[in-house]
Amino acid sequence: MLAALLYLQLTSLKNLLLSRLRRLRQPKYLLGATVGVAYFWLFFVRPMSRGGVRAADVFGAEAGVRFVELVAPLGALLMLLIGLLAWVLPTERPGLLFSEAETAFLFPAPLSRRKLIHFKLLSSQARILFTSLFFTLLTNRFSALGGNTLTHALGWWVILSTLSLHTAGAVLTLTWLSDGGVNAKLRRAVLLGGFVLVVAASVVWVWPDLRAPTGSDLAGVNPLREYLLTVLNGGALGWLLRPLKLVLGPFLAKDPVAFLIALGPALLILGAHYFWAVRMNVAFEEASLGVAEKQGARIAAWRAGKRITLGTPAKGRRPPFTLAGTGRPELAFLWKNLLSTFAWLNGRTFRLSAAVIVIGGLWLERHPDWHVQQLTIGFGAVIAAGYIMLLGPQLARQDLRNDLVNADILKIYPLPGWQLLLGELLAPVVILSGFLWLALLTIALTLVPHGASMAWLTLGVRATGGVCLALIVPPLVALQLLVPNAAAVLFPGWFQSGRTRGGGFDVMGQRLIFGLGQMLVLLFALLPLVFAAVVFVAAFYWLIGLVAAVVLATAAVLVVLAGEVWCGVWLIGERLEKMDLSAELRG
Amino acid sequence: MIEVETLSKNYGSFAAVRGLSFVVRPGEVLGLVGPNGAGKTSTLRCLAGIIPASGGTVRIAGHDVAANPVAAKRALAFFSDEPRLFEYLTVRQHLNFVARLYGIANYEALAGPLLEELEIADKADELPGALSRGMKQKLAIACGLLHSPQVMFFDEPLTGLDPLGIRRMKDSILKRAGAGAAIVLSSHLLHLLEEVCSHVLILKKGEMIAAGTLAEVEARFSNGEVGVGLEEIFIRATGGSEN
Ligand SMILES: Nc1ncnc2c1ncn2[C@@H]1O[C@H](COP(=O)(O)OP(=O)(O)OP(=O)(O)O)[C@@H](O)[C@H]1O
Ligand SMILES: [Mg+2]
Repeated sequence: MLAALLYLQLTSLKNLLLSRLRRLRQPKYLLGATVGVAYFWLFFVRPMSRGGVRAADVFGAEAGVRFVELVAPLGALLMLLIGLLAWVLPTERPGLLFSEAETAFLFPAPLSRRKLIHFKLLSSQARILFTSLFFTLLTNRFSALGGNTLTHALGWWVILSTLSLHTAGAVLTLTWLSDGGVNAKLRRAVLLGGFVLVVAASVVWVWPDLRAPTGSDLAGVNPLREYLLTVLNGGALGWLLRPLKLVLGPFLAKDPVAFLIALGPALLILGAHYFWAVRMNVAFEEASLGVAEKQGARIAAWRAGKRITLGTPAKGRRPPFTLAGTGRPELAFLWKNLLSTFAWLNGRTFRLSAAVIVIGGLWLERHPDWHVQQLTIGFGAVIAAGYIMLLGPQLARQDLRNDLVNADILKIYPLPGWQLLLGELLAPVVILSGFLWLALLTIALTLVPHGASMAWLTLGVRATGGVCLALIVPPLVALQLLVPNAAAVLFPGWFQSGRTRGGGFDVMGQRLIFGLGQMLVLLFALLPLVFAAVVFVAAFYWLIGLVAAVVLATAAVLVVLAGEVWCGVWLIGERLEKMDLSAELRG
Repeated sequence: MIEVETLSKNYGSFAAVRGLSFVVRPGEVLGLVGPNGAGKTSTLRCLAGIIPASGGTVRIAGHDVAANPVAAKRALAFFSDEPRLFEYLTVRQHLNFVARLYGIANYEALAGPLLEELEIADKADELPGALSRGMKQKLAIACGLLHSPQVMFFDEPLTGLDPLGIRRMKDSILKRAGAGAAIVLSSHLLHLLEEVCSHVLILKKGEMIAAGTLAEVEARFSNGEVGVGLEEIFIRATGGSEN
């Protein structure tokens, strides 16, 4: 049995590699691969053969060692968060995700559920091994960590395997919770409530030991490090993080002996996780009568030709707005793509958040003793806006990237390429603009200038500035989104499977090229514009007043940005129209 | 009206369709037949403008598919062998979405009867994941028929349908042809050809072996014998003269 699964894994891997190699015959994919390999070699392989970039070189000799001390608690904290997400993120009834081919071959095969779980774990190992290798090359650059390549690789394997097993266990447990027989609602409420209680209890337990950083803590790198060490290692949080640190142990071991010592507890935890994930099956079957029947019914339904929908939505949703039969066809894509995201990403959430921000902002404004918190929130919003601007386009993929699977039907619609592309862009533009507007609102309400030197920043000027920025946000986001969507049109082969299969040098090269492209587009589109706008405002504000100058400059910026977006949409739309699916999506 | 002139399609160096020419007038139903891999799906996908042809021209209702794809696509509907749907849109939402793309003002008035006719009205609020294969196919068909296309392409329209569904499908094809639509369908089911097609085109390895009305093709391959079945004709036309 295991041999068959192993065979399946290995042949799949082989065929994947072969098809990837075949794709490299197309020059554009070859270019991507070349960039990927070059990057990989330059930054990971070459430094290793030279004995590594010393962290000490980067941080100074002493700081290198001190920095390493922080790795364990911070890493443990990160793992804790990842672990929490595994419990929080899944939808109501999550399941281990099998591909359609896997359900086709494995579900009707005479395999027990436990074997299926084993298969799932086994197949994740391929990815874990690759990732461990990759991370090893990455971390090998920091020789201050101690250890050697082998201990790092094994250490990463332990960490990633534990996380993967934890996620699998969490998914199975959650499935079990929501599948629980007759009064499922009650059971779910009780068990999920219990889970929330556990989390809340840990927070309450840890809370008293946390103290906000004082000014002296933030005075420099060393005090900050001391502060973090006391908070993370001391008190209840230290206890909470202890088992997680054990998992990190082998990776952080300084020498082979320490590695062997650390390996014991780590493997014990790994083993416990494995046991949990596999035993979950038994609990699942025994927990409620009828579940086995349900399982059988499900497989029977599948045999009767119905698709098993693990992980896909189970119920239709109310549309975000009513879509009339006539009107701009682009809006149909906005409507459709909004339906493909989380239900909470809607206008109501936006209005509610805006209301909370406004009320909170006004409250903070009237309570001067909360000034520090106010500033913290304000700068937090600035940072958040920056991140959304840079990373948002990679995360919000409710556009062509997600629709390439359906490229066949897109091609049938009577729309020119530019219209199709524009429609596809709308959903992420709306979503990211929504977030950015909320951030702007927060900034406007919390970073209120005080003092005489800021007197020229009157409420009118600030309001105008805010509105102008808010107006610039959508075209700017659209411009950024054009880059990954151009990538989807130029390299459909990379995107069709992009969601399920990361990795590969060509994909890495592609990510690099387009990540860089996105930054460059942002820079080139924005810098000259901002420069021109600032010059304009500086030159004319005394003539027509600051507000009027800002408004005029914004109008000009908007015209230019809109022109740029339009050009991009048109050009990429042309490509989209000419795209030959048969040539791209097979190879 | 469908006009095809020396259509060819290459996948790399492999020629899947070579020099195909034919015309389908309003009210006609052309059946594409041929062994697996003959190039039926490739032909239909080129006709519908899903993949670009490597050579030749295709005109749909007077519009060149390559030069004026939007006008051509407005007039046509394509039904693939594997129903392609959006997994997060319900049946009703699919129709809503498609209606907006084609700008159909009164789509609700059309969608209801269409769903009734296809017998998926009771599944109107289900997602594709909760539909059987045949139902998915019916949904795809409903989406395609919503804008009353003058030209229709069906790739294996009957796979996955129940007997009643098959009969309905045939009736529906005949009804639309009767109303003046030009239809091309591919199928391995020869009785479908006999019942609904006015013309047949036999493909083999991308090349046209025979074309014409059913009677003409029959006459050509029956070698003067009487009562030769369509199956025998098909085998003689495609397999009998192997290479
Ligand atoms: N995207 C593609 N890339 C390369 N070759 C292809 C591609 N699509 C089809 N082919 C090849 O073109 C030929 C014709 O395929 P096509 O799907 O048109 O056949 P078909 O007549 O529809 O067959 P069937 O009866 O099995 O549906 C086959 O040899 C097939 O292998
Ligand atoms: Mg076919």
